[in-house]
Amino acid sequence: MPEEINYQKLEFKAGLEIHQQLDTKKLFCNCPSLLRNDEPDFIVKRKLHVVAGEAGKVDVAAAHEASLGKEFVYQGYDTTCLVELDEEPPHQINKEAFQIALHISLLLNCKILSATQIMRKTVIDGSNTGGFQRTVLIARDGYVETSQGRVGIKGIFLEEDAARPVSKQKGEIVYRLDRLGIPLVEIATEPDIKTAEQVKEVALHIGDILRACKVKRGIGTIRQDLNLSIKNGHRVEIKGFQEPKMMVITVNKEIQRQLELAKSGKKLEPEVRNALPNGGTEFLRPMPGSARMYPETDLPLLKISREKINEAKKTLPRLRADIKEELQRGGLNEEMAGLLMKKGKIEEFKEMSSILKIPSLIAKILLVYPKEIASHEKISEEQIEENLNIDALLFIVEALKDSKISEGDVKEVMRLIAKGTAVENAIKLEKADVSGIEERIMKVIKGKPGLNVNAYMGLIMQSPEFKSKISGREAMEIIKKYVR
Amino acid sequence: MAEKISAKPGDYVKISLIKYEYKGVFLESPEEEKGLVLLKLDSGYNIGISKKEIVNVQVLSKTKIEDEEIELKRDKEKPNIGMIITGGTIAARLNPKRGGVDWLTSPSQLLKFYPRVFDKVNIVKIEAPFMKASEDMDYKDWKKIAKTAQKLLNDSNIKGIIITHGTDFLHYTAAALSFFLRNLNKPVVFTYSQRSVDRASSDANLNLQCSALAAISDMAEVMIVGHASSNDDFCNAISGTKVRKLHSSRRDAFKPVNAKPFAKVYPDKIVKVSDYRTLNNNKVVVEDKFEEKVALVKVYPGHDSSILDYYIKNKYKGIVLELAGLGHGPTKRARKGWTKKLKQVQDKGMIICAASQTIFGRLNPLVYSNGREFLETGIIYLEDMLSETAFVKLGWVLGHKEWVKQGKEKIKEMMLKNFSHELNNRLEFEEE
Repeated sequence: MPEEINYQKLEFKAGLEIHQQLDTKKLFCNCPSLLRNDEPDFIVKRKLHVVAGEAGKVDVAAAHEASLGKEFVYQGYDTTCLVELDEEPPHQINKEAFQIALHISLLLNCKILSATQIMRKTVIDGSNTGGFQRTVLIARDGYVETSQGRVGIKGIFLEEDAARPVSKQKGEIVYRLDRLGIPLVEIATEPDIKTAEQVKEVALHIGDILRACKVKRGIGTIRQDLNLSIKNGHRVEIKGFQEPKMMVITVNKEIQRQLELAKSGKKLEPEVRNALPNGGTEFLRPMPGSARMYPETDLPLLKISREKINEAKKTLPRLRADIKEELQRGGLNEEMAGLLMKKGKIEEFKEMSSILKIPSLIAKILLVYPKEIASHEKISEEQIEENLNIDALLFIVEALKDSKISEGDVKEVMRLIAKGTAVENAIKLEKADVSGIEERIMKVIKGKPGLNVNAYMGLIMQSPEFKSKISGREAMEIIKKYVR
Repeated sequence: MAEKISAKPGDYVKISLIKYEYKGVFLESPEEEKGLVLLKLDSGYNIGISKKEIVNVQVLSKTKIEDEEIELKRDKEKPNIGMIITGGTIAARLNPKRGGVDWLTSPSQLLKFYPRVFDKVNIVKIEAPFMKASEDMDYKDWKKIAKTAQKLLNDSNIKGIIITHGTDFLHYTAAALSFFLRNLNKPVVFTYSQRSVDRASSDANLNLQCSALAAISDMAEVMIVGHASSNDDFCNAISGTKVRKLHSSRRDAFKPVNAKPFAKVYPDKIVKVSDYRTLNNNKVVVEDKFEEKVALVKVYPGHDSSILDYYIKNKYKGIVLELAGLGHGPTKRARKGWTKKLKQVQDKGMIICAASQTIFGRLNPLVYSNGREFLETGIIYLEDMLSETAFVKLGWVLGHKEWVKQGKEKIKEMMLKNFSHELNNRLEFEEE
């Protein structure tokens, strides 16, 4: 940055929109939320047309879509149904996803609405077969505390994820239906954020709360957008703003862009921009208006009774303070427990502990060894973090459990991995392709239909394809998704 | 809240509760939720607020009634068609102020929602004899549609007509018009939508574009034009007597049964598939006498045949029985046989016809002795006719007093005479 930014003088205001996928079946049908990478089972070709919204107005964002008249190709699977194809009305809202949305609302101190209507948000880029995304406002008026003051939560929304774009050719866009309908919780903060650092703090804080709830993990399961404005400007939305390391840089670059635009005398337009890996942004489309929202007439009003809220309170996931206490009860000293939380390694700790019940060793693997290796080998902590990611660490713990390596080998194995040795080579195991394991388990089940859960469990755990790559508990969870 | 809320749907209001305030557009409460006030927030989301919690409602600005009329320009180069709107999803659109559904009845409203239907034609006349969901219709409504159609078809300025209709009972109306409209001279195209018109994915868009093309084609037939598959590429034009709704929600719900479609209709071309009657200079006559006392009864395992006594007692003149398979039902050997009762009611003058529950295929009572046993009671077996079409045809045939007077043989002759493709004496093999 060429100069220090005075956020206050610029009247910098920002709000975050966070979209988090939930770890449940789809929101309005009974399909598994499973992303597929194999060949589609069928394709359907559709077109969308402009629809005048309320009072006969066509939404600006809708009108901007160059995709009108284009043909959309949808790839479907045996894990998608007529609902994703816009060939069957939506089923009742997924109860589990609904409860998770209530959990998140409660943890963010929101007021839950007593009655609310599921809405259709017009989206005509083809990413929704219906031409709209279903979305419902669940709660309002919450807050998170930060070191720079309280930031309001404007709303908590439960909505459907869109279909995945697979390829774009002239006049034809191909989408995959697997992602369409996966439940998303959207958290929108008030424009109370006053500095770039605070943006990051709010994002991390909300991230912690989300991870306490039943949400999906990994790349693509969380998407963040930032709305920001400065003096004399218009609101600009930056999409794809989820990399914590880039947040401060991206915000500052966008401020610079707007300042330069203002200096050159050009008018700032309300628009949606895409975050780029270098911290810059690019124009995506004009800002959509509220004219694109209308009720989902296929579903009744969603009433949220006292009982439902109380039930959600009873099943509320535990937060940090409770977890710290639990960690200490589990045998960690206070320092280690505190450090685990500070470093945001609770989930990793839990995952690893579920495999190997030696808390002190796992704390060392997570907190002590990486630091020692970093200083000894002169590798940056970022690099270490990247190589010794959770998948690598879980691999190590599994290897320990299976006595493929001993406790004494752990640090050396970690050192090798940190220096770039492939995980499999570091512990001298066969190559494990953990990605797509759910998909492959599903195929095993499809290949031998009609067996019971335990029979599939036996098949899978004996198969060299899965053995040592997945724990029994994980396998059971996946099997239960596909076997009644 | 004690006093009555004075805000009208569409007003921009401030609603005060004890602790909060909401601003937004006041919406009409749904019928079943009279205790709630619906409010559209500035974000576009609708929420419900219990009336009990409301302290005050302040109207910030009154709703403006907007004049939506758009002038329709007629293009001399384009052929003219007429349109009859009868209700159903295709003619319904959401009124966001009320949260309820309104009917589209004027050409300008149609233009707004379906601009593409005007690509190839001028819609010069739009008639709306009534607005009903198809499940609320009966033969009296069929008569009204037929009379309206006749007027348009005998107008030399009009090339053909489109009739928009709800889907559930659409195939009954299509069958009725196939029989009611005699000396048909031009295309009569029924179309529909399975997805509401307010969504960008509505199937009505393609259905109407293809219907417009079918309405100016050389097919002088009553037909249903709608999606041939789940793709938005082309529609089938299917005879009004050989078509049935075969799916509760898919856009290609209407399939030809025991027949091929007349044609595949694309938005820009028509590909002929089977024979149809072509344009002519006849004057259309409406023959719409209908015997209301006809019934359609599906026979099921253990069905008590005394149900037929109900129809006798209530002076029914004819029944279409949906029998199993090739035309079978509980025989003398069944615990509750029908043979004796069937004979009995027919002796009293009831006309009993048979169609198959299998939907696809032809009846043949001669293959098994069980079929022959029923046949001997005097049942009229209707070959490959759809039971719904048979029901409509039976009411129509029995409505002709001059035929009824001549006795059962004449009625049988008419039931088995092919008026409008309802019978097909060659069922060709079709791959799935």
